[in-house]
Parts: sequence; structure tokens; C-alpha cells
Amino acid sequence: MTVLETIPQENLLEAIPEKLGITEPWVEKGGVHWLATGGLNVRTLAAAMNDCHARFITITAYQLPGEQGFRLEYHWDLNGKVLGFPFQLSGNSIESIFDLCEAVDWIEREIHEGFAVDFMGREYEPLLLRQGDTPGVNLREEAKK
Amino acid sequence: MSYKIPMGPYHPALEEPYKLDLICEGETVSDAKLHIGFNFRGIEHLAESRNYIQVIALMERVCGICSNIHTLTLCQAMEQLTGQTPPPRAQYIRVVVAELERLHSHVLWAGIAAKLMGFKTMFMTCFELREKVMDILQAISGNRVNYSMNRIGGVNRDIDDPLAVLAMVEQLEREMVRTVIPIFTTSTTARLRCAGIGVLSNRKAVSCGVVGPTARASGLPQDLRRAAPYAAYSEMEFDVPVQQDGDVRARLLVRALEIMESCKILRQALTKMPPGEISTGDAKIAFSAGTATSRVEAPRGEVMYSVSWKESSRNPSRVHVRTPTFVNMPAIRWMVIGARLADTPLIQASIDPCYSCTDR
Repeated sequence: MTVLETIPQENLLEAIPEKLGITEPWVEKGGVHWLATGGLNVRTLAAAMNDCHARFITITAYQLPGEQGFRLEYHWDLNGKVLGFPFQLSGNSIESIFDLCEAVDWIEREIHEGFAVDFMGREYEPLLLRQGDTPGVNLREEAKK
Repeated sequence: MSYKIPMGPYHPALEEPYKLDLICEGETVSDAKLHIGFNFRGIEHLAESRNYIQVIALMERVCGICSNIHTLTLCQAMEQLTGQTPPPRAQYIRVVVAELERLHSHVLWAGIAAKLMGFKTMFMTCFELREKVMDILQAISGNRVNYSMNRIGGVNRDIDDPLAVLAMVEQLEREMVRTVIPIFTTSTTARLRCAGIGVLSNRKAVSCGVVGPTARASGLPQDLRRAAPYAAYSEMEFDVPVQQDGDVRARLLVRALEIMESCKILRQALTKMPPGEISTGDAKIAFSAGTATSRVEAPRGEVMYSVSWKESSRNPSRVHVRTPTFVNMPAIRWMVIGARLADTPLIQASIDPCYSCTDR
């Protein structure tokens, strides 16, 4: 049994930053409890969420201006609260959490096809939205053309 | 010898286009692959070119069944960014329309499920009842599909005579209690056709992160109306039906019981509806920069919107929609493994899939 599994549900929210080694507190804004992730590895986060029995909701992808890359916001539900974890990608890749969290499958595939973000360590075939087409194309950039 | 049977994207068992590649050993399904994207519309991207009024009309068209839920979730998110709080009467009207939409969706699904069971008489009965729900929605909103009820800071139309609507709801409830509920909960046909097939275990339901009736039929008591109440749900008394078996029958029972709970909520909302304004009435709406998130319990489960706005912009910079079918549909693979090929149409329909929502 992991540390988070032993903590009562009502105290879990406070225990998560400490478990993840994050000193900054939760910030509640826009209906979400946000936690700054800093140098946190997304797979460490996914494992911690599994320990809490949090339910994965979705990933929201943002393409940042110019060469700034992407921001991915991972969301889980913990006892009716939406937790948000932003990850800044300087390039276009991040580790996949598919093997830790099955529910992430389709949204990782969709972001891969919509934004050309590479979730490392997983297969993409078949493509979710464009079967048989070229993988790794940023559809937004294609739309601009 | 195994062989592959493609089901879809256009198939009599599918209401909308998607594809199931079923790998079979004899008559038994050993694996399945799902393909979507046949009608992907890029609505999230399109939303970035619409202003805060146009985007409501656009997102209402994500889904033809739960159109109201999409505008409700979007408006709730935009209300966070504009600092608007809808008046109490508007919150009650939002509950009424949301529950009518749930009735509409569940009865429609019951009809389709009956058709796939080979129970055509029940299909006709359900669709007749669905017409009556749509009549009520038309009486309230003037529309039968896209109701245009929600706006930032409230609703667009009042319910002038809630007791008249209540009388319609009670008549509908009587017919549900007389026909749909007993047949779906006790009839031998429904039991034999649905019990023990398409099982999604509790463990797999957790792993897949399924939502709504699909989750509740696998023993997960999650319902945002209870866990994170919005609109006026915190003032309503209702139960969250949960079944443990995780099969098609459990999903059928959950929805049948939810029809009764919706009627209970409607009765409370229509009798306790407070007087007053139906919107904040602000003609000029200013957005603060940032991201807001809203979640609503749609008929098929949780819908989540993340809406981002830039300073002094009229258009959202990003609208992300997570629909319930998007998370429920991958679980079909686990439901059909081990099932008879002939049961797969009913099993895939048992999550009440909405491809329109999925291919948003």
C-alpha cells in the first residue's frame, strides 16, 4: 500500500503536494484546483493520482505563440473536485501515461493528431481521427494553410 | 480460426457512423478495435473564430440530444470568466430543462435498445413518449432540438406557468410508470436479452474512467449533481441509482430508475421555482483573461468544458470539450470480448453512445 492510499479521503488534497515534492500550495481558480508542477515528471503525477484513486478526466492542449511550444493541462477528479496540473512543453514531446492510466488513451491520440504532440513510449496506430493518414501532423497548422 | 467482421461505419445497428472491427472465434468475439473520426467537425477549433454570443449557438450543435447541456456547461464556464451569477429562477429553469433533456435522452435510448432487442412494440411506445417530452420542451423553449435556453448570466426564456408544465410532466410520469419502467425492469424479454451480457467490471470501469449511467451500472456511485452540484441541484432531493452487475441489464435498470428520479427533480423544481429575473440582464459583458472549467452531469455522464480567454478579446482563445461518450466508448472493447457476435449491437448501444459528441 502506498503512502497516499493510507491517508483519509478528506485529507488527501492537502497531502498530494507533499507527496509530489511540491512546496507551492493549491490555487483554486476558474473551477479548478491548480498545482504548479515545476520539474515534476508526468508519470510520477499519474502514479500519485492512481494512489489517490482519482478519476482521470482529460488533457487540454494549448499551442503557444511562436516557438514557445505547447502547454498540456492534465485533469483528474478527486471527490468531486477538479484537479489541474499544467505542463509546459518546450518542444513537442512528453512521456505517455497510457500504461499507468488506461483512460488517457483516446485523448493522447487526439492531441497527437490535432497538435502533433508526441507522447513518448506508446503506439498510435490506428489513428483515432484520420485512419490511414500521415501521423504527427499539426491539424491547426494545416488548417491555416 | 479467427476472422474479422467489420461493423460500420454505416450499419443498421449503429445510429451514427463509427466502426467496430470485431475479431471472432466462431460466434464469440475475442477482441475488438474501435474507429471514430468519420464525421470529425473540428468544432473546438471553429469556436476560436466565434464571439461570446456566436459560440453558444455553435456549441449547442455539438450534440443533437444533449444540446442544452453543452450550452449550460459553456455558459457556466463563461460566467466564471465574466463574474456573472445567474438569478435563482434561472438556476431552477436550467434544472428543469436539463432534466427534461435527460428524460428525452433516456427514453430515446430505451426505444433504440428495445429495437435492438427485437422488441419493436416497445420501440414504438418509447418514441411516442419521447414525442411528449419534446412537446414539453417545445412548450418551454419553442424548439424541439436546439432549445437556445442558456445565455451568460441566466436563461433566455422564462417558464411562465410552471404548474402547467408540471401537469404535463406528471402525465408523462404516469405513462412511464405504466409502461416503460415495468417492462424494462421486470419483463422476461428484457431480462433474457440483457442479463449477463456486455459486462464491464467495476475494476475495468475505474480503469477506463467511464462516467454516467455506464459507471453507475458498474457500481460506481458518481454523479456530479450530487458530488459537485451546479445550477439549483443542491436544493433538490434525489437518489443516485447504482447497480453492481455491470451488464446491459444493469445499464437498462440505472436509466429506468433515473427516469423516475428526473421526474422527482422536475416536480421539486417546478413547484419550488422562485420568482424573479431570469438573467442578470447585463448588455455589456467583459471577460477577464484566463481559463475557466465547468462540469455538468449530462444524460450520458460528465461533460467538461475548459474555456480560455485573452485580454479584451471577443472570441475564446481555446474551448476544449470532454464529452461522456469520448471516455465511455473505449470501454466497449472490454464489454464485447467474450460476447456472442449477435449481442454486440445491443452491447455497443448500451452505453448510449453519441458519435456526434465524440466527433465534435
